[in-house]
Amino acid sequence: MSTSSVIGISSTRWGKVLQNPSAGALLLVGVLVISMSIAFPTFPSAINAGNVANQMVFVLLLALGMTVVLITGGIDLSVGSIMGLSAGVGAYSINSGAPLILGLLAAVGAGAVLGLANGLMITRLGLPDFIATLAMLGIARGLLFLWTNGVPFIGYMLPEYYVISGLERPFGFITVPIIIAAVAVLAIIFVLRKTSFGRHAYGVGSNPHAALLSGVPVDRVKITAYVISGLMAGLTGMLMAGRTTTVAPTMGLGYEIAAIAAAIIGGAALTGGRGHALGAVLGALVLSITANAINIAGVSSTWQQVVTGSVLLLAVVFDRASALLRERSTRSAGRLAVT
Amino acid sequence: MSHDVVQAEVTRPPVGLPVLIEARGVGMRYPGVIALDGVDIKLRAGEIHALLGENGAGKSTLIGLLSGISTPDSGELFVDGVKQHFNSAKQAQALGISTIYQEQTLAPDLTVVQNVYFGRELRRGLLLDEGAMRRRVESLCGEFGLTAADLDSPVGALGALKQHVVQILKALAFDARVVILDEPTSGLEESERQLLFEHMGRLRDRGVALLWVTHRLDELFGLADVITVLRDSRLVASVNPAEHSPDSLVRLMVGRKRSEGEHLRVHDRSERIQSNSREEFIRLEHVSRYPLLRDISLSIRRGEILGLAGIAGAGRTELGRIILGADRPDSGSLFLDGKEVTIRSPRHATRLGISMVPEERKTQSILGTMSIANNISITDLGKVSRNNIVLDRRRENRLAKEAIRDLGIKSSSEQQKIVNLSGGNQQKAIVARCLFSGPSLMIFDEPTQGVDVAAKTDIYRLIYDFVDKGGAAVVISSELPELLHLSDRIAVMREGRLVDELAGVDRPGCLGSESEIAETIMAMAAREAGHSAAADTKEEMA
Repeated sequence: MSTSSVIGISSTRWGKVLQNPSAGALLLVGVLVISMSIAFPTFPSAINAGNVANQMVFVLLLALGMTVVLITGGIDLSVGSIMGLSAGVGAYSINSGAPLILGLLAAVGAGAVLGLANGLMITRLGLPDFIATLAMLGIARGLLFLWTNGVPFIGYMLPEYYVISGLERPFGFITVPIIIAAVAVLAIIFVLRKTSFGRHAYGVGSNPHAALLSGVPVDRVKITAYVISGLMAGLTGMLMAGRTTTVAPTMGLGYEIAAIAAAIIGGAALTGGRGHALGAVLGALVLSITANAINIAGVSSTWQQVVTGSVLLLAVVFDRASALLRERSTRSAGRLAVT
Repeated sequence: MSHDVVQAEVTRPPVGLPVLIEARGVGMRYPGVIALDGVDIKLRAGEIHALLGENGAGKSTLIGLLSGISTPDSGELFVDGVKQHFNSAKQAQALGISTIYQEQTLAPDLTVVQNVYFGRELRRGLLLDEGAMRRRVESLCGEFGLTAADLDSPVGALGALKQHVVQILKALAFDARVVILDEPTSGLEESERQLLFEHMGRLRDRGVALLWVTHRLDELFGLADVITVLRDSRLVASVNPAEHSPDSLVRLMVGRKRSEGEHLRVHDRSERIQSNSREEFIRLEHVSRYPLLRDISLSIRRGEILGLAGIAGAGRTELGRIILGADRPDSGSLFLDGKEVTIRSPRHATRLGISMVPEERKTQSILGTMSIANNISITDLGKVSRNNIVLDRRRENRLAKEAIRDLGIKSSSEQQKIVNLSGGNQQKAIVARCLFSGPSLMIFDEPTQGVDVAAKTDIYRLIYDFVDKGGAAVVISSELPELLHLSDRIAVMREGRLVDELAGVDRPGCLGSESEIAETIMAMAAREAGHSAAADTKEEMA
């Protein structure tokens, strides 16, 4: 009885939509955009869209890296701290006289190296992902505080940096960070869909034992995922340093929450094996639009974190529901196959 | 299907002791499988009742029914003569039925006292009544060899025997009248085993009814009061041990197989190349990995199927994992085509031409979130990518389609998620995955576990095709008929050692009838070392 009704739901078109993990996020974006457009005429403007796009770049880049890590079945709690420390490395290098481009590369490289450290702790020392990256969260943040003595880095803003970080917009609201983010999205889509590494990543997250016995280089895949996540965090720190023109020791504090939220809203699963780059875009969009809506509606920005948390909760509840639907339709399909 | 009906020979011991539990004609079926078929059993107070049978004979199913984990589809259960219908293990426990499982069900970080009362703690008001719990455990533990110091140490720090004792205490603390022991001696040293037997004797003296599942025939004599033998999901006999010997019990367990055997014989072995002309692919010399594998020397030839027989825990899977590079040996060497190699990882093994169909499909084989195509190609993505980096999906899908057709995998398309296939088709997809990397050696670990008869035949055919094309195959199976049917040669393992090798299994009549060979193997696999009867039997046959 219940079986047939479940089959009824899951085989309709709506059933298919409801089973898609990103459906909830998409629905939320739609509802938000429509209701905000009705309530506040300034909301649906090109300028505001540009603001939203420029705001979402940071979370988007972090969420892309986080998605890769989540697909392999891991989690990276250290991205906020890596972002801050990498920005510090970049600012310091420029202040010490390094050419701008080298300074920027140093920031990105520092992120990649810290990500590599995460990967090695997890695979070589056998630490749980959660613990290793939690340790990195503390260590990287602590190092930044020690290094700055609590005093922000300033004075590294060369003229070109204003353009690179999007503070100056020679091409209208399409800023350099937006271009970088777009390239990063395409790159991650390519890596996940088109390369052996991407396929291996899904395999490792789906079933690490099976992947190992099938000849997948599980450790190498995990390390690579954390390097990508660290690299994205470094890139984000580099852009953020340009945007804020100072590197405070608190830079990037709490960004891991937004990054994980965006990735999960976008359909990545904490249990591994699921997630995609466009989902991360959707997740980052949801978070940025809600932030923007709060702003325009004149609500105090201190509400921001509460809203982020609630949106995450909503997305996960929705995901649980759709997973249940999927599971039931799978089981009933299996039962049909047997009989 | 089959035709020779199993006659239940029933010679029950003298009546007199009260029957605590009785099952009448209980049966259990799963889709496509009959797990238990009209079995009768009576457990009496103060009696040790042994339950024997090969793997898959229905022992676990019967235990599940008696301990309330599952509900029988047919037949009736009586406790103290009152008909009962168990829906949960809790109901069975409330009636005094406790089950001690093979896998540990203790919380390793909690102390003995905490474990005994875990989930059923005694309270005084809102607080735990630590004193009362401890006193009760103390009053019970003395005769079972636990010291006062043991009671406060975490269970994980105790040895295997003491952990069994904790489970026994757990049962006694709740006045269990029926205790079901699922292979309690596995993992115990010889001396510990003797102690456990003494404990079992004590339980019997307290008037507890024991149901004791074991694979080791030599243990039974002198301890069991009744022996019940299951075969092919049916009751074969309930017998008095005084009237039997290990050999006669083996005969009851193996019987004349009414298995799918005959019509599964799809392959004409006489056409195959003779054993001695096959060249060696891999050779193991004195390979050990303590404590699971000791001094294994073995060679596997191309065009040959080597069967690995043994009871659970004999080290067969561990041997497979060594060959696959999933574990490293502590000592000994491996030679591939005559050259010594170190197999560093399963990835390395794949490159060397070795692949494995693992034992547990759900936990070790399938990539649940992925499609059939992706599940097949994962072993060798280089084959479906350009420059070893960029995947060529069209090529991947084409090869997957070919595999689905060649192996007869029933699916809607190669893009279907693997979890939506039936067990047999999932297993065929896993075989396709292993074939995808073009191996020279394939290890099949329980390849037909949980697979229906039709898929079984298909999998046998795949194995034959593979060796006929010059591949070497190792088949690990707990089903003797399967091993006899597939293997050219059978190596028997026991407690991490290779105890014997039977060559010429492929030449019918050479070693006697199929059931005679089965008995020889069972005897070798189940006996203790030093027991020479097995070797004698074998010599007689050779």
